[in-house]
Amino acid sequence: MICLFKAPYLMKLNQLLLFLFLGLLSACQQQDNNDGNMNHEAQVDKKIYRHSEDGKPTSLDPIKASTIYSNLMAVNIFDTLYAYKYLKRPYELKPNLATQMPTISDDGLTYTIEIKPNVYFTPHASFAGGLGREVKAKDFVYSIKRSFDPANGGTGAWLWQGKILGIDQWKADGANYDQVIEGLKALDDYTIQIKLTQPYPQLIYTLAMGFSAITPREVVESLGQEFGSKPIGSGPFILTSFNSETAYLIKNQDFRAEPLDIYFEGYDPAKHKSYGLESLQGKNAPFIDELEVHFINESSSRWHSFTKGNEIQYTTVPKDKQNAVILQHDPILVHPQISKNYHYTYGTEAGFVYHGFNMDDPTFGMRGDEEHDKNSHALRCAIRKAHNWSQKNRAFYFGLGQVFPGIIPPSVPEFDPNLSTESIELDIEGAKTLLAEHGWNNDTLPEFEYHVTGSVLQKQFYEQMRGFLNKIGYPSNLIKYKPYPSFGQFNKAIKNRQSPFFFLGWTLDYPDAENTLQLFYGPNQTPGSNNFNYSNPAFDQLFEQSSTMLPSPQRTALYRQMNQMVIDDCVVISGLARNKINLWHKNVITFPDREIVGGFHLRYVDIKQ
Amino acid sequence: MNNWQFAFQMLLGGIPLILGVTFISFVLMVYFGPDLTFELLGKNPSAEDISQIRHLLGYDQSFWTRYFNYLQELVTLDFGMSMMKDQPVADMLKLAIPVSLLLMIPGFILGNILAIALAIKAVQFRGQWRDKTIMTFSVVGMSISFLVVIIVFQISLSSSYGLDWFPVRGWEIFTADGDFDGVRYLSYVTVPTLATVFVAVGYNTRFYRAVLVEELNKGYITTAKAYGHKPSQVMYKYILKNAMIPIITRVMFSIPLVVISGSLLIESYFGIPGIGLVTYDAIIAGDQPVLKAVVGLTSVLFVLVLIMAELLYRVFDPRMGKVST
Amino acid sequence: MNHQATYKAQPSHDLWFRAGQQLISDKLGILGATIVLLFLFITIGVWLGLWGQNWSETSDFFNQSPSLRHWFGTNAIGQDIASRGIYATKVAFEVGLLVAVCASLLGTLVGAVAGFKNNTWLDSSLLWLMGVIDSIPFYLFVAAIAYAMKGFIFSMHMAMILVFWTETARVIRGEVIKLNQLEFIESAVAMGQSQIKILLKHIIPNVSHLLIIQSTLIFVAAIKSEVILSFLGLGVKDGISWGLMIAESTNDIQAGYFLNFFVASGLLFILVIGFNLFSDALQDALDPKLQK
Repeated sequence: MICLFKAPYLMKLNQLLLFLFLGLLSACQQQDNNDGNMNHEAQVDKKIYRHSEDGKPTSLDPIKASTIYSNLMAVNIFDTLYAYKYLKRPYELKPNLATQMPTISDDGLTYTIEIKPNVYFTPHASFAGGLGREVKAKDFVYSIKRSFDPANGGTGAWLWQGKILGIDQWKADGANYDQVIEGLKALDDYTIQIKLTQPYPQLIYTLAMGFSAITPREVVESLGQEFGSKPIGSGPFILTSFNSETAYLIKNQDFRAEPLDIYFEGYDPAKHKSYGLESLQGKNAPFIDELEVHFINESSSRWHSFTKGNEIQYTTVPKDKQNAVILQHDPILVHPQISKNYHYTYGTEAGFVYHGFNMDDPTFGMRGDEEHDKNSHALRCAIRKAHNWSQKNRAFYFGLGQVFPGIIPPSVPEFDPNLSTESIELDIEGAKTLLAEHGWNNDTLPEFEYHVTGSVLQKQFYEQMRGFLNKIGYPSNLIKYKPYPSFGQFNKAIKNRQSPFFFLGWTLDYPDAENTLQLFYGPNQTPGSNNFNYSNPAFDQLFEQSSTMLPSPQRTALYRQMNQMVIDDCVVISGLARNKINLWHKNVITFPDREIVGGFHLRYVDIKQ
Repeated sequence: MNNWQFAFQMLLGGIPLILGVTFISFVLMVYFGPDLTFELLGKNPSAEDISQIRHLLGYDQSFWTRYFNYLQELVTLDFGMSMMKDQPVADMLKLAIPVSLLLMIPGFILGNILAIALAIKAVQFRGQWRDKTIMTFSVVGMSISFLVVIIVFQISLSSSYGLDWFPVRGWEIFTADGDFDGVRYLSYVTVPTLATVFVAVGYNTRFYRAVLVEELNKGYITTAKAYGHKPSQVMYKYILKNAMIPIITRVMFSIPLVVISGSLLIESYFGIPGIGLVTYDAIIAGDQPVLKAVVGLTSVLFVLVLIMAELLYRVFDPRMGKVST
Repeated sequence: MNHQATYKAQPSHDLWFRAGQQLISDKLGILGATIVLLFLFITIGVWLGLWGQNWSETSDFFNQSPSLRHWFGTNAIGQDIASRGIYATKVAFEVGLLVAVCASLLGTLVGAVAGFKNNTWLDSSLLWLMGVIDSIPFYLFVAAIAYAMKGFIFSMHMAMILVFWTETARVIRGEVIKLNQLEFIESAVAMGQSQIKILLKHIIPNVSHLLIIQSTLIFVAAIKSEVILSFLGLGVKDGISWGLMIAESTNDIQAGYFLNFFVASGLLFILVIGFNLFSDALQDALDPKLQK
């Protein structure tokens, strides 16, 4: 060996590093104490609520609010005409910027809506004098028109196209905002009139969605596309800054003073007593001074931030923490440590996950040839019988998901609890018989492509599905994994009808089963929302008939008839509604709901001092 | 040729490099990048809606028009608006790049210094247990997934399940008055830095040790010792100096990655709004204006690094310069 | 410095012979070689269908602890972790080793050419090419190559090789330029030895350890990149890899299940350390100063 030399400089270097390292640590420990003090002081004069979400919004322009995250931001920065009652379940609408529920003509075609006077936009340089101007009926008209202006790239026009009289023509004529639309008018400063081409009972729900939030024309025109990152509205909060991790908002001091009536909002002592909501009675929202919304995809990071104490104050329980939180299923019981430290609620999502077939696929779908269609129907039904919902539920949803037959989920009033569960039962023998009866064997079975967005979780879904299919004798070498780099790419393949089988989720836009039934309506075939390319004239006829009906037992009967058709045709393997546990710190007074109510609850959050 | 002339020549040589990088990556983005059309469409679009969106996204223009627009954007540093965020790309980068720099630099420097120190130590005790221990640990650092390292550091140092010394998430390094607060900065940067160093040291030590051993084996060391130079002198004067070429290569070429790519995992786990997340979001969403800016800036920075590296080579090994004349 | 002229200029067959002797007497080196051979043996067994074949079977028993039936327990969807770890060894060799070897060869070749032709247009073009490849974001580049060669079974390998060779090439180029100045090379050139001979006889032995280290780094990088590529639809589709197991395990760990993580990381660690022990021994063996 040639290098056995002493190296005093090395010692120095090591010592230096050690010193630096220790210095760093001690500095931080000190800092931690300081920081604690600072936070404490800050909380005395300011109420800050730190909310968290498991995904992030993109643009904050309401006409692009197509995700729950964007919608949450939109309804807090902007005003909508209607909103959902804070505590009432099943969901019920209430007037928000509107003075009362709309006046609807007898034929169901004309809606007249009054809005509240003396509501102001928050200040912006492009208003005269820099101060916010009053919100007028024409602002609503302008805001809806924006969704139909091709230059804006909005994603909400589907709610009203073909429904509001003259709006499609307005778009075809070049989207001139000064041109009046017959079906969408401001009669005066405070009166809006909407005329429809046919009755559209769901219209009122769309007026509580972020898509219909009210934007000021001056600001939109002066900022252009940048409005999506510097939004100005008349909602309860004002955005101060927004990056890829966090949105910082402050209270809108001039938000209209309306004393909260928790009884009107649906307060029920049996359900809500332990949350301290009574102290809010009669006070004007919003109650907090600052709102931070943290967008945290990583569940471990979100969980540790939540349990830290001085960081985020609300989280949904991530899948991998459920065994730390839940002591017992059915009825659900949380760990005493959790219920001692936090408040919690537990509820079913307004939506569901399902596997779907592309009915336009030459092998698995229908092509009008009776023999083929009969065999492919048997193949689809056999695959459905092979699907083991309970195993999937336990592996991926901690056994908390609610499995239900068909496409009308438990979260809507039209749900039928007595529907036969045959379509969600595991029946391996039945599947094998069905395959044998229709001549499906190792030589005739087609290649089964499973299309997904590439990720660990999706790959596990695939491997489990392959396991299910193996059990009915579908050989592994015929089951192919086809991942896409992004959801966009996957979605594109579905919209181009290239994906024979897919696993997707659907989140309801409003509490009406029409929202899921339209996924199977023939004219909505891809690139529309009917990803199954299901086309059944009998279904379409019922859908058209029910679409103009107001909620009634007759309409519910039609809905259920349609549901049965989809089940009988084995178009989907459906479905499972996930259950969510919400947790929040004990010093926060809230009743969170990230489902249909979206972000409306944030204005009612209060912090105990 | 003096160093300035050399640098100038290199700069000129950098232009084809930038053109090459931008061209190839542009081809990749246009032909293989995500297609935003269906993400930006509403729920029941018509064929007309689809073509409108494609027009809005600029997908209907010819390839060359789009490429020349891109070069123009690169020269003027005006990358337009992000398609997904509705925010000027320049603003997004201006906010995110300094954050990433502040976040990554301590780990980058420490990771390299510590690795060199460990490598020296290992070489010094070459073949003995200390050497083997250091090597084993560096392989551990290489084999363990970065994600797991992050999670473990976060739990043990930041969370209430562990020591609870540091914040779990956040990057509020400015006081209410907008002044930089060094103490807060340290509290946010420490755990990410430790995680980065843990992993980087594995790879770096492994590499630097090999480089040092190589130099050690060379005849001149024995000669130097025979001439009566002290061991420390030998280490400083000859070994480290001669090993500088591969060290510089490694250090310099990781700089663009640190500046532009940042660290996606670190940023998303520690809630730090840096460039890694901006880039990742853009790749996932197919936000071409942002991607174009990031790719363009990486290539420009890369050219600068290339020039710097060549200049440093000349400083540490003058013979390289001689060859080029 | 005259002494440099004598440096490693001895006849090469002698050098290799003594290196071989030295290697055999190095216990840790033998251990390293044994580990690598053991993994190779496991891989061959998987190829021949002797073991690891039930890696994809799912069951109703999720996250089980180790038992006789499942040596390392089961994962979140009830698959046998031991079988998956064993089957993934095959993928590690198919992907990691192939990519590491090819990328190192390509890098050596290009680096040597660039080094010998230093300051010619060829050198500049090669440097340009490396610069271009290095500046394009990794996943964009790899995804695009693999996409362009869709259907070709080695598309992922090709993509990774085309990205990973540049660092090796830079190192080799630098060494070649440096060594080119040395007198023993100059005299070899004067004696009319061809450049290929010079490369094999004088340059490769001098950079062999750097090559090996670089290869192990590429090996690890390839295994880790394979996961992400498989999500892009380009990696191993009908199989399981350590990378994928580690990716799965990051979900498990948070729920308190560590077996997936330990098995995959452990196997990766043992193989990499095996390579390293072996390469260190090789480096020592090739080092004339350490030879007895």
